[in-house]
Amino acid sequence: MSTPAPGSQLPAPRLKIFRWRAIGPLLVLFIILAILWWLFADTIARRETQKVGTQLLGAKVEIQDLHLDLKNGDVTIRGLTIASPHEAFKNLLQADELVAEIDVIPLTEKKLIIDRIAANGLRFGTPRETDGRVAAKSDGKGSGAGIAERVLAETREWASQFQIPILQLATGKISIDSLDPRRLSTLPAAEALGARADSTQKAWQTAYNELQLGPTLDSAAATLEKLKTARATDLATLNEGRQAIERLKRASDRVTALERDVKTGLTGLQRGLAGLDSARRRDYAFARSLLELPSINAPEIGTALFAPVAIKPFERVLYWAQLARRYMPPGLLPRASTGPMRVRRAGENVRFPKEQALPAFLLRSAELSFLIRPTSDQPQRYAGRVTGLSSDPALYGRPMLASASGPQLTAGGMLNHVRGVPVDTAGATVGGIQLPAFDVPGLPIRLDPGAGTAQLGFNLNGETIHARFGLRSSNVKWARDTGAAGQGMTNTTIDDLIWRTVSGISDLELEARLSGQLDRPSLAVRSNLDQAIASRLRAVVGEEVAAAERQVRERVDALVKDKVDPVRAQVNTLQTQANARIAQQRARLDELQKQLEQRLRELTRIRLPGTPSKR
Amino acid sequence: MFALVKLIQSLVGALHSEGTPGQLALGIALGSIMGLTPLMNIHNAIVFAAIVLLNVSFAGGMLGWALFVPIGFLLDPLFDWIGHSLLLAPALRGLWTSLYNMPIVPLTNFNNTIVLGSLVFALVLLVPLFLATRWAVARYRVTVGARVRQSKFYRAVTASKAYNVYKMFRP
Repeated sequence: MSTPAPGSQLPAPRLKIFRWRAIGPLLVLFIILAILWWLFADTIARRETQKVGTQLLGAKVEIQDLHLDLKNGDVTIRGLTIASPHEAFKNLLQADELVAEIDVIPLTEKKLIIDRIAANGLRFGTPRETDGRVAAKSDGKGSGAGIAERVLAETREWASQFQIPILQLATGKISIDSLDPRRLSTLPAAEALGARADSTQKAWQTAYNELQLGPTLDSAAATLEKLKTARATDLATLNEGRQAIERLKRASDRVTALERDVKTGLTGLQRGLAGLDSARRRDYAFARSLLELPSINAPEIGTALFAPVAIKPFERVLYWAQLARRYMPPGLLPRASTGPMRVRRAGENVRFPKEQALPAFLLRSAELSFLIRPTSDQPQRYAGRVTGLSSDPALYGRPMLASASGPQLTAGGMLNHVRGVPVDTAGATVGGIQLPAFDVPGLPIRLDPGAGTAQLGFNLNGETIHARFGLRSSNVKWARDTGAAGQGMTNTTIDDLIWRTVSGISDLELEARLSGQLDRPSLAVRSNLDQAIASRLRAVVGEEVAAAERQVRERVDALVKDKVDPVRAQVNTLQTQANARIAQQRARLDELQKQLEQRLRELTRIRLPGTPSKR
Repeated sequence: MFALVKLIQSLVGALHSEGTPGQLALGIALGSIMGLTPLMNIHNAIVFAAIVLLNVSFAGGMLGWALFVPIGFLLDPLFDWIGHSLLLAPALRGLWTSLYNMPIVPLTNFNNTIVLGSLVFALVLLVPLFLATRWAVARYRVTVGARVRQSKFYRAVTASKAYNVYKMFRP
């Protein structure tokens, strides 16, 4: 056996790339993880469903038990509770059991396709012990806000835009002394219009001077004189006459252009005058508001009494509609949504829908069975159905439809996000339900509508909204909060008056309508109480109100008269002068042109022998 | 506190292990991917398997992970921006659409801005980090490494039980 000679080079050790002995422990680790997943899959799925559901809806989603049976594609959820995103201690719904049949293969693409859900034991509006709102606790701003938070903040802001008149009652002596002229909008408007009239007048004068009609008219008049003595063979004079006519025509065109400018300018000034009238009406309203006069117009009373109550259902339906628009957008463009909640930043998940591929989420059909008045002796059983709920409606190709019916319920809805402009429609009539009691704004009165019928119609077509909310009850109860009664003598009198008016009325019919562009819709609220309250108020405080309003108008008129009247006169004078000057110049031009043309015709007329002259 | 002690043990153990500077550097570079990107993702299972199966420093991997977790948190806004820019780039839309509609691939959460942004960042950083770490470890060993090995601190660290566990996975 030989040994290597001292100092000879040892061969370099072979480079080991793999650590083969680690395969065993790694496999064991993965097997342990797989076993843990198998053992805790239901718990993991339950927690994830709760987490995702809460994030999606903006309210706590709680599940008592969830069982996955992936072999058969079944998911069973028991004890589902979804809190209301709007009310602190109320649930949106509870379900005893939900059984879902899912397609397993699309799960490998992270797509959830539910063929059918059967939901039993649904209950709505049940009370809860803890506050289940999540989105409502956020201001919905900043990059960390989820979609539900943002939508809730937007709908809140939308609802707050409505100017609801408070049923203000006069207190003490009516006086307009506090009216500050600087706060009137008519005065700056009049000053601006006066300045505009000045600059317009100067501009017109410059334009008029630039017309240079004098030389044209003088030259044409001289040519006409020449033509009067000229013969038909005097071709140079005839040409001069034709050139003069051409110059007159061009001058006439310039006058026409100036006239057009003057007309446009005058229209603007007249609009300015109309704007002054509008500003004055606004000033009347502003000055009137300083008096805190009670409104005695029936529509305003209806809005003051019931608008806060009527806006709520619109706000809630709009929340769900807008949420659906965010989660079910039309089209196939990539779309980003808030990523999963985790310790690190959530980021955004971007979805990439592809034609003829499956959507990320699809619920083909859901059958619902639910109870109304579950605790009563005779609970009423209802049934409902939802089809085509998809995250990518353009891929599914059909709108989402929902319907529910029962002894005292008819409801239906359609979310059509298949085309570019989404259309959301919903309608429901619910009878025999206990309508919530509410305080009448501005008055120490509480209204309990009792059991009645509520109706809601909603249509959001693109950005145009039409909605109607109706409430009807024949068991209305009124309660008076004597502790919160008006402080002043007049308030107490009017409180008494309204109390006497309404307390004897047991029927309530309320209707609120919303229409127009979504960002600035108009709201109209009316009820059967409006006219009754208005006529009683008019009888008691009508004269005082009318006198105060007269006083308000006179005071505003006196303050703005010195500014508005001169401006009005200036605009009218400017209009008269401008029209007269233009008419005068045009008349001269036309007359000269006519005379020149006539003379030229006379000179150039060919007379055949024997043809009698017309003259 | 325990985590800090473990981190120091890992650092000392790794620096003085029998592995080459390259093995240690590659371990740290691979571990940085796990630290920079959100942990619970499929790509991290692959990276972890690579750290275990490849003949790189396991301690280095754990060290890289521990060191880069806080950096990952700090750089999340940058990752979000990178991911957003990549995912919404019109030129890449076809690629993402194809990947998104394939089996398995969507389970990697590549369509999340943080996951994609941090993974791209970590992959871009991989080679420079490997080279820099390898150079730094080599310099350490030829300069202060021998003196540290003689210190009481080193003996205290290597005498602990955690060091024995580490030795099971040393390269």
